[in-house]
Amino acid sequence: MAVRNFAALLIAFLVARAVASAGPDFQKDVLPVLKSHCVSCHGEQQQKSGIRLDNLSTDLINDRAAAEDWQEVLNVLNSGQMPPEGEAQLTAEQHQTVTTWISATVAQAIEAGRETSGRVVLRRLNRLEYQNTMFDLLGLEMDYTRDLPPDSVSADGFANDGSALRMSAMQLEYYLDSARRALDRIIVTGAAPEVFDYEFTESKIDNWLGNAQRTTRLGRQQEFLCKMTDKYPEVGEFLVRVRLSAELKPEVGYPLLEVSVGYQPDTEILMSDFELVEIRSVEEQTLEFRGRIENFPLPVRGQGKFPGLVVRVRNRYTDGSPLPKEQTDQQRDYPDEPHLPTVTVKTVEFHGPVFDQWPPSLHRRILFDSDQRQSDEAGYVAEVLRRFMTRAFRRPVLESEVARMVDFHNSIRGEFPTLEETLRESLAMVLIQPDFLYHLEPAGSTKRHIENFELASRLSYFLWSTMPDETLIALAGKGVLSEPGVLAGEVDRLLADPRATRFVKTFTEQWLHLDYVDRVAVDREYYPAFEDSLKQHMRHETEEFFAELIRSDLSALNLLSSTFVMVNEPLARHYGISGVFGSQFRRVELSADAHRGGLLSQGSILLSNSTGADSHVVRRAVWIRDRLLNDPPSPPPPDTPPLDKTNPEFASLSVREQLEIHRQREACASCHRGIDPWGIALENYDAVGNWRSEIRRKVGGGFQTIPVKASDLLPGDQKIDGVDSLKEYLRTQRANEFAQSLVTRLATYAVGRRLELTDQATIDRLTKEFAADEYQIRGLIRNVVTSDLFLTK
Amino acid sequence: MITLDRRRFLLGTGVSLGLPWLECMGEDARQTEPAKRLCAMYFGFGVGLPSADSAEGMWHWFPRGEGRDFTFTEVLKPLEPHRANVTVLGGLSHPNGRRMGGHDTADTFLTASFLNNRFLQNTVSIDQLAARAFEDKTRFTSLVLSTDGGVGEPTRSSTLSYDDKGRPVPALHQPQQIFDRFFGAGDADLVASQRRMKSTSGMLDRVLEDSRSLRGRLGTQDREKLDEYLESVRQIEERVQRSQRWIDIPRPELSDEDRKILKLDADDEAPKEFIRTMYDLIYLAFRTDSTRVATYQITNMADCSSKAARFPQLEGFKKTLHSLAHDWNKPGGAEELGRWDQFMAQQLAYFLDRLSGAREGNGSVLDNTIVLYGSSNSNTHENMNYPLVLAGGRELGFQHGRFLKFPEQVPLSNLFVTMLNRIGVPTDSFVDSTGEISEVTV
Repeated sequence: MAVRNFAALLIAFLVARAVASAGPDFQKDVLPVLKSHCVSCHGEQQQKSGIRLDNLSTDLINDRAAAEDWQEVLNVLNSGQMPPEGEAQLTAEQHQTVTTWISATVAQAIEAGRETSGRVVLRRLNRLEYQNTMFDLLGLEMDYTRDLPPDSVSADGFANDGSALRMSAMQLEYYLDSARRALDRIIVTGAAPEVFDYEFTESKIDNWLGNAQRTTRLGRQQEFLCKMTDKYPEVGEFLVRVRLSAELKPEVGYPLLEVSVGYQPDTEILMSDFELVEIRSVEEQTLEFRGRIENFPLPVRGQGKFPGLVVRVRNRYTDGSPLPKEQTDQQRDYPDEPHLPTVTVKTVEFHGPVFDQWPPSLHRRILFDSDQRQSDEAGYVAEVLRRFMTRAFRRPVLESEVARMVDFHNSIRGEFPTLEETLRESLAMVLIQPDFLYHLEPAGSTKRHIENFELASRLSYFLWSTMPDETLIALAGKGVLSEPGVLAGEVDRLLADPRATRFVKTFTEQWLHLDYVDRVAVDREYYPAFEDSLKQHMRHETEEFFAELIRSDLSALNLLSSTFVMVNEPLARHYGISGVFGSQFRRVELSADAHRGGLLSQGSILLSNSTGADSHVVRRAVWIRDRLLNDPPSPPPPDTPPLDKTNPEFASLSVREQLEIHRQREACASCHRGIDPWGIALENYDAVGNWRSEIRRKVGGGFQTIPVKASDLLPGDQKIDGVDSLKEYLRTQRANEFAQSLVTRLATYAVGRRLELTDQATIDRLTKEFAADEYQIRGLIRNVVTSDLFLTK
Repeated sequence: MITLDRRRFLLGTGVSLGLPWLECMGEDARQTEPAKRLCAMYFGFGVGLPSADSAEGMWHWFPRGEGRDFTFTEVLKPLEPHRANVTVLGGLSHPNGRRMGGHDTADTFLTASFLNNRFLQNTVSIDQLAARAFEDKTRFTSLVLSTDGGVGEPTRSSTLSYDDKGRPVPALHQPQQIFDRFFGAGDADLVASQRRMKSTSGMLDRVLEDSRSLRGRLGTQDREKLDEYLESVRQIEERVQRSQRWIDIPRPELSDEDRKILKLDADDEAPKEFIRTMYDLIYLAFRTDSTRVATYQITNMADCSSKAARFPQLEGFKKTLHSLAHDWNKPGGAEELGRWDQFMAQQLAYFLDRLSGAREGNGSVLDNTIVLYGSSNSNTHENMNYPLVLAGGRELGFQHGRFLKFPEQVPLSNLFVTMLNRIGVPTDSFVDSTGEISEVTV
């Protein structure tokens, strides 16, 4: 299959080349057409959309930017967007001449570029990859990226582009610092530390802020609090064990158990929380929470006013109803809420530091037990380093590489009192090597196929954002990973693993700009009941939706419109979907008139493209064209007049009417005609993604309402009437553009570089296969991974 | 040229030094200007502000009058001999601090940050900005002191200094330890960090060496990326080498006279002696150019858990510092708090005596050092109108002998911008600054 495609491509290029030599001549045939039809807007006087044609280079082989521009010219000619309506159109012959010349010349450039570009650039681990890799390599929970500067994002919006990811002295120093900090914790010296064990049965604490009731039966306003005043660990792993039972209630969700550890610095409370646990059974059960105590806020011994480490247990479930008031006769006492679920805490245990034996397992994973340590320290050190380097470099290491590291170790051994302290340094050195910090793929001046170990890394970082696991390494070691059957099987295995949520989360965030949700502040005057925690649920909805498409092999066109949603209780309550209880996301089938389903009805997309008070038509429109159709409108020209907000009459108009006035100006119209209607169609959604038939606007001290009008004409006189009709249109008329957009984004993310003209043929083929495969994302991932994009360096 | 500067250096320090020190000083001593320095001191809980016509009016902390035409009240009278070296500043505060709890602003005196009750995340302090800028020039980038030592807890810090990540820099508080670190054999922490510095240097050497062969195996674009990495390695190596050279340079020796004055066994049971010893150590660290940046949190807002909170009682006052501050507007309260602040002003005057008594360049150590002294409360709980004294720095362009009042809207950060620029740390803005305070330099 792949071979046949490649042959077909090759033939296409050869044909193109033949046409070029015998085809139209630029000076004689093409330029006159451009001069008569295009140059008045794209020439010396004006350069609309930043394009100038009369002097655009025709040497597409050496001028890649010009090649991209010509490709764009080809696209607008073929789609009939240019020349614009009302201007003189090209004759069929002229059209043929120009498009033939461009196609042939571009094809020539593609062929010429094949050997020199379209290659992945040496790529540093980004923050996410570094964090995951350090954790997998060392097994120690720590914020490894605490001090690292943010990663730069490529023009495509992805944070794993080798060209965009830079290195600096400061960054490298923090890598070293991070490695040392971790190794100081993992590699221990001296005798085992004292272990502290506690069991608490009652909620009791002196001097603690807040009005929560201190008791063992936890509703919304109760807390279980216990304190270790003096004897508690400050470093190492600890364990909190909670034995509890629950009371569940009908037609509400389940108790959400929160365990936090921290302290009270005078008039504040400083705590870190474990992940919430939903209690779905009434039976007595024991839950365990493990963490590294140094990752939690710790009181400063001898300096705090309220010394002691505190464990707090709460039930965070709420049905959204108002909290009852404190009973007046007594402080910290609240009326029972019989309709809500409760948790009853029997005991809370604290143990720390916990370790299986001394030194702990993380230490022994590196400094493995061996008699050799005594008999032959040099040989032992070499073996420790060899094992560690093999994992860190994600490939077998050469003896000469080990020897150089041993040599360094020996050079500092005399400076440090113990072998352990010396090894902390030698191992830290491994962790600042380019072989660890970069995806190192040595290659000369020509493109080559990647090796099995390189493939293992590429695959693992693509789908897991971390180093390859033992299975991948073993397959690479046998040299079979690159076999198509094995590779496809590994894609399935990796996607089925929980670590694949990292791919879903990162890819959807960067493709769909989900992080914008956190940048929009919801206006409390418009939405007094909105809770910020909902923003996280909204992001999760989109991730869960995408994950469900992969898991159940559903068509990616469900992203445009679907008959189901992925929601949990808080989100269902927000959307007005009844009967969903619990914090887990699950698939809920929609009724016909639900106005939900697909990305365009998801809170994450609607809220992030709003002002926080109202919808933002233009932002939503641009998002659709840019993110979904990969056809971003040009940015506004520098002299764009803003909407006239000072005019009181203008302010009372709907956004739609304001935009209509805006569009009456010819300067604005040419662009906005192609933008606004996309967003107008979503006007039935307010800023936070709720359905509305009226738009509320604050005028003076009160609110004014304007009816929603969600119909408009898309370019080509396509009538759109509201979101449902927009979805229908996208799914039936624009599926191909959408598919190509998704393929392009996915491939860009997979290879960690910007796609170029030379990749177009591969993208076209992948898109075709994607459509033929009923738009299954899993199949697309498999095809990307087995394409030459992914398999060459 | 070099001889002259050596002599100037010797004159300035007034101590005899071994030759290796001087040789290594060569690079720095070639500078024509003397060191420019920054020093900040803090006290907690604010001051008494009785009205001028009340019975205790002479215990109002701020002077009477304005501009050059002012008179110290009883409180700051100890500064009268230094009138030409000091400016009292009224009205300034951190706008962010005004939105914080009354006792929560000690942490942000030098950072101007806003502490959010969920994260309590601070930002860099001005002294550490200066420390960063001067890090190549001296053995220690800064000397961070407090009476309580360490970092304290968020909103009740026991340090004034925060690094570029907003993390507290632990303060030293034991005179003997500070002495060992700066003028003796070094303490345990220092030995450990020197060991690592040496190992870092070896690491980087080898990384550079090994990368040569790697580079040959890479394509052109990859080489550019590797070069970026190697350039980073080289830069760190240079920095480490600059820091490392201090290891082999003997610490400055102090004269018998210096040693006689120093009371290294001073402890926090004897406030006057303790505060003066801390001031002496700052003075010596400056004079020997061991560092150019120092902060000292004399008292803080941690109340009962703080050693400094008992200072007034140890000096014969009836109340802790917190109570003194709270009771300033009760009968007799302004006088009692005023007398304590007068005691504090006496110690400040002692410090200024020390700094101004040491000749250096065309003036004194004080003339090349800008000193900020004050609190982040006016009355206790009030995060406005900080009581502030600015001293020294005449060679840096500061003008004194005045009481300057500023309107409420002027952020204290404006003064910080001016201070940083005057000590040669070019600064356009700091946190919420809106400009500079040029009044202190004209």
